Amino acid sequence: MTDVLVPADGRVGAGAGLPAPAGPAPRWRGGARRRSAGTDTTARRALDRTLIGLLLLVTVVAVLAPVLAPYDPVQPVGVPKLAPFADGHVLGTDQIGRDTLSRVLVGLRTSWLLALVVTTVGLLVGTVVGLVAGMAGGWVDAVLMRTTEVFLALPSMLVAVAVAAALGPGLANTFLAVTVVWWPYYARIIRGEVRGIMARPHVEAARMAGVGRLRVMRRHVLPGVVPTAVITASLDVGNVVMVLASLSFLGLGQPAPAPELGSDTSRGLVEILDAWWIPLVPGLVVMLLSLLSNLAGDAVRNRLAHRR
Amino acid sequence: MDVTASLLAEAPTPRDASRTDAPRAVGPVARLQGLDVSLERNGVRSQILHGIDLEIGRGEIVGVVGESGSGKSVMSMALLGLLPESSRPRIDGTLEVAGLDLSTASPQEVREARRTRLGVVFQDPMTSLNPTMHVGTQVAEKAGSREEAIRLMRAVGIPQPERRYGCYPHELSGGLRQRVMIAMAVAGDPELVVADEPTTALDVTVQAQVLALLAGMRDQLGCSLVFITHDLGVAAQVADRIVVMYKGRIVETGTTREVLESPRHPYTMGLLGSRLSLDCDRTRPLWALPAEAPGAGGSGSGCAFASRCRFAVEACTTTAPALTVLGDDPRSAHAAACLRAAELAGEASAPVLLPPLPPLAAPDRGAPVVQAADLECTFSVRDERGRRARLAALRGVTFDLQPGESVAIVGESGSGKSTLLRVAGGLERRFTGSLRGPRGTDVQMVFQDAGSSLTPWLTVREVLHERLPGGTPRDVREEKALAILDRVGLPAAVLDALPGELSGGQRQRVALARATIVPPQVLLCDEPTSALDVSVAATVLNLVNELRRDLGIAVMFVTHDLAVARIVGDRIAVMYLGRIVEVGRAEDVIAHPRHPYTRNLVAAVPQPGRTAEPLAGEPASALDPPTGCAFHPRCPVALPECASTVVGVQLAAVGDRPTSDVTLRHEVACVRRGES
Amino acid sequence: MPHLRFLAVRLASLLGLLLVLSFVLFFLQEVSGADPVAATIGGNASPEAVAAARERLGLDDPAPERYLSFVGGLVTGDLGTSFRTRRPVMDDISAYLPATLELVLVAFAAALVLGMLFAVSSMLRWRLSGLFRGLLFLGSTAPTFMLGIVGLIVFYKLLGWLPASGRGGVTGGPTGMTILDSLLAGDVGAAGDALAHVALPALALAVGPALAMGRVLRSSLTETLRSDHVRTATAKGLTEFQVLRRHVLRNSLDAALSMSALQLGFMFGGVLLIEGVFTWGGLGSYLSASLPVADFPAIAGVTFVLGGLYVVVNTVADVLQSVADPRISVS
Repeated sequence: MTDVLVPADGRVGAGAGLPAPAGPAPRWRGGARRRSAGTDTTARRALDRTLIGLLLLVTVVAVLAPVLAPYDPVQPVGVPKLAPFADGHVLGTDQIGRDTLSRVLVGLRTSWLLALVVTTVGLLVGTVVGLVAGMAGGWVDAVLMRTTEVFLALPSMLVAVAVAAALGPGLANTFLAVTVVWWPYYARIIRGEVRGIMARPHVEAARMAGVGRLRVMRRHVLPGVVPTAVITASLDVGNVVMVLASLSFLGLGQPAPAPELGSDTSRGLVEILDAWWIPLVPGLVVMLLSLLSNLAGDAVRNRLAHRR
Repeated sequence: MDVTASLLAEAPTPRDASRTDAPRAVGPVARLQGLDVSLERNGVRSQILHGIDLEIGRGEIVGVVGESGSGKSVMSMALLGLLPESSRPRIDGTLEVAGLDLSTASPQEVREARRTRLGVVFQDPMTSLNPTMHVGTQVAEKAGSREEAIRLMRAVGIPQPERRYGCYPHELSGGLRQRVMIAMAVAGDPELVVADEPTTALDVTVQAQVLALLAGMRDQLGCSLVFITHDLGVAAQVADRIVVMYKGRIVETGTTREVLESPRHPYTMGLLGSRLSLDCDRTRPLWALPAEAPGAGGSGSGCAFASRCRFAVEACTTTAPALTVLGDDPRSAHAAACLRAAELAGEASAPVLLPPLPPLAAPDRGAPVVQAADLECTFSVRDERGRRARLAALRGVTFDLQPGESVAIVGESGSGKSTLLRVAGGLERRFTGSLRGPRGTDVQMVFQDAGSSLTPWLTVREVLHERLPGGTPRDVREEKALAILDRVGLPAAVLDALPGELSGGQRQRVALARATIVPPQVLLCDEPTSALDVSVAATVLNLVNELRRDLGIAVMFVTHDLAVARIVGDRIAVMYLGRIVEVGRAEDVIAHPRHPYTRNLVAAVPQPGRTAEPLAGEPASALDPPTGCAFHPRCPVALPECASTVVGVQLAAVGDRPTSDVTLRHEVACVRRGES
Repeated sequence: MPHLRFLAVRLASLLGLLLVLSFVLFFLQEVSGADPVAATIGGNASPEAVAAARERLGLDDPAPERYLSFVGGLVTGDLGTSFRTRRPVMDDISAYLPATLELVLVAFAAALVLGMLFAVSSMLRWRLSGLFRGLLFLGSTAPTFMLGIVGLIVFYKLLGWLPASGRGGVTGGPTGMTILDSLLAGDVGAAGDALAHVALPALALAVGPALAMGRVLRSSLTETLRSDHVRTATAKGLTEFQVLRRHVLRNSLDAALSMSALQLGFMFGGVLLIEGVFTWGGLGSYLSASLPVADFPAIAGVTFVLGGLYVVVNTVADVLQSVADPRISVS
């Protein structure tokens, strides 16, 4: 898998390489960063907003897909293997004459919304586990983190395939298979961040000021974790898109007539020599979706990094 | 001490073979003239050095002194041609070092100069050494051979250099690491060594050793030394000549004696005046250089220091003063960049005396507010080779704190002083022994790094309000917050600020405000001033003194600096390796130290006009404390029985007040305490 | 050298992980409800025959016992019988594994080269290297199968430079890896043919990992270059090359090494997606064929073997890392 989730534990690049003179401590900076955020310019801001806007647009399109689709995605509506733009089919038709645009739209809906759900649920589970482990420390931390490490030490893609294969095809099972292997990434990152915050004297200072345990968590720890969590998730949702498409490509998504980007690609593969657009179009859509969410993830990271 | 003697004994014939074909030129080893340096940071170019004129003579030790932001580090990097490429340095003016014009020299020439004619010692020897390479190999890279590297390591006082050769940096103590750096710097018999805050990260007694080593280096090798430091007292220990820098300019230069005894620039006077020493007046608040007004300086054509200067006149804001030789002798080395330098001789440089503090209320003779007996605290850790080990942080500490009293706890790293504070504050529960004292919010703490002790995303208002008991009405909270801000000397506007928007000194004031908005019985301070510039530190110490008088709070103040301890402590407790070795009234402990360790600690405080006597050896490891008196391996007066006898702090015998009043007693843990 | 204790701990955790993997697979097999009896003797067998078969396969034993015999099977190489091929899964795997190993190794080599190019080119800012980095980034956002499809369309259909399917080269050689076998047979032409066959799938597999490795290498190089000890090395008057070789590379290798191992591991998952596109006769194709018919013994067997390889590769990287950085075995 092209899993680009770098296991960096939120290391932030040092400032400019000057020998910093002794002085006040550097300002607190949060956030797991895949790359340094770079300088903030007007052009960069505009680009970031555009990217985030585009992704929101995709989400709207995904929600409205059944309305937007010009044809029934499941029924043959034209001559099979029509090239794009022939006969009013903007993206052509597939091997049994179904409208590719309609199938791709509905497939996009499934892929994107499911990716969002997997990321959100994975993030929530990971945050809870990471927060509890990081704050409790001791044996609770040890048990939770050993569990997480075991998950992380196993190949996520293979385990997801095995889980999906055992549970059988279907959206809910795909969701379960991916979420099961996905939350540990978040748990580890969040836990690292929580440990980092807990090691700062401000947590001890809050305890000494008479702030209760829960309130310390809510006010003095959690807000420091949120940017990291959001950044991690937004940089990662593109990976989820790809894993979901891959499972679907292997036939572990929804069963046959349902339109899905991955399975449509794999079923169209036989046509690659005479009607190459049939497998190419849904595959391209996966790629664009993942590209856009990667770029928008960077954009979210930039915006959060420069907010303070 | 013997550490320097060995350099002489071991050194081969001074000028080795490689140098014979290139005899040393005569004239200065470095010449800077009208040197401007500007650097780019985050795409913004700013000028760091402005018209620096400086000549460094052969065999001369020049101390460069300045606060953060003075440009002293950039100057040291410029001397080595080490300004980072990423900051796109632009250099104008003359920059000649070791016979090379660094602004025109080829990279090969600069490299060759660094290898054979220059040396450098950086502040933090841990990060400055390659963690994945044996230290000996790193020395040999510059020394040329294993034998030479071992000879140098022995010469700089590394015991068993053959064995240490194959150690990694993380396996050595801080002092040994810095010695490795020095061995590396003097390898190749350089003409000039640049030392950038080489002792700042070290313990006091180790600092004295390293200073002696650096000073001795010149005597043995004849090389020049540029010594960069923020502390005039440290510079005075080693330097022949002192250069004071402010905002990228040289504001005063002269022989060490001239600068210390008759400073002519108000900034130098300010640095001297706010410098803590063992003879500051304890009855008055410390005078401090005023902090820079926000947005002041840098702009305009006047003197950069004008906004902080108590002697500033109208002309200072419009005319930039040039560095002018003082007195009638044009060859004199003493020069200052101040329009009023001529007038400011003599009494103007006398320290400013603030009105005396109100006398302390007589200490409460009632029950102690904190009473600790036989505190022991052991942690399970991994040693430098990864084995499980037990770190004895506290090894039997008995200690009382009277209500309203202030006790300063002094010790080097590993002495257990911070652990004692954390135990007293209830932050550390893994201890044995008995501890009685206030719990919960009746004990408050101020941390070393104020920046990280404040929650970054909470405003000052939220931080202060949170400390007030639940159910307090909002307007009462607001009123109290404003009152405490006023008391710690911060404007009301600070309420809406995030910690990141405040300066270091302001953050520490906010931390103090949080700790005292509801006055606690005990205030614990963990080196709250060690990360601050001298002038800012002085105001924070004043504030601590003021708060405890006004609010009647008992204070435990941990510091590594005896001069600070003397200012804040009614009593001083000296700790060594998990035990208190001496405790008594501040004036008794400083003036008549009884424990050999305390004596060395007092002697190691860098004071102008006094040469520190370095104590051999380094603090023993808390992983493996020596038997008996932990200090005996380093003790100059140890007896054979010291290796087996553990002595608790007891009433000092001769000449002291035999009193039951704990705040007056002078106690020493030494078998020879009876002798003088 | 790494400490013995460190090696022992790594080895123990390796075995522990394999045990966990076996448990996960056993659990999934139970959940899946795959019925080996129906699969092996047919759905119309008499109740007696079914009962006999269940007895023979130990299906009526309590779960812990069945798990033990499952683990015992894994240890002795008995992975059960495939429902689909009706042959022992172990035989199938040993037949298909060499092809997959060959594909992964070639892909890994390609990813290493591309990743280093990425890191070095972005540090030295070579001309046109931005285009290369952009393409690599673009490629990394595409699912592996998508890269395969694009590769097929461009290099096979449009340009006709590379073959579309199969493995080429000498078949039936001793190692089962056609490039190696061809070279062993002294047939350079056949080796070239085999290389041409592996080129497209390997590249498709390499793009994503190359970017991940390149990024980590770049950032750790940048970080090391900025570190104080590199400044010290420069101040000593070492040449740029000496600084790079002695003080930068080794210190930057850490992160890059563990990332490489992680990515090599990911490739064992990626083969599932790419082998089908190129009808590459390896474990990926074998597994994809087993998925639609829910051939669970085959699925579990392949997952265990590929997952085991993944775990082993990462453990080896851990040990190598501790050799590179003396601090690691300490913490």
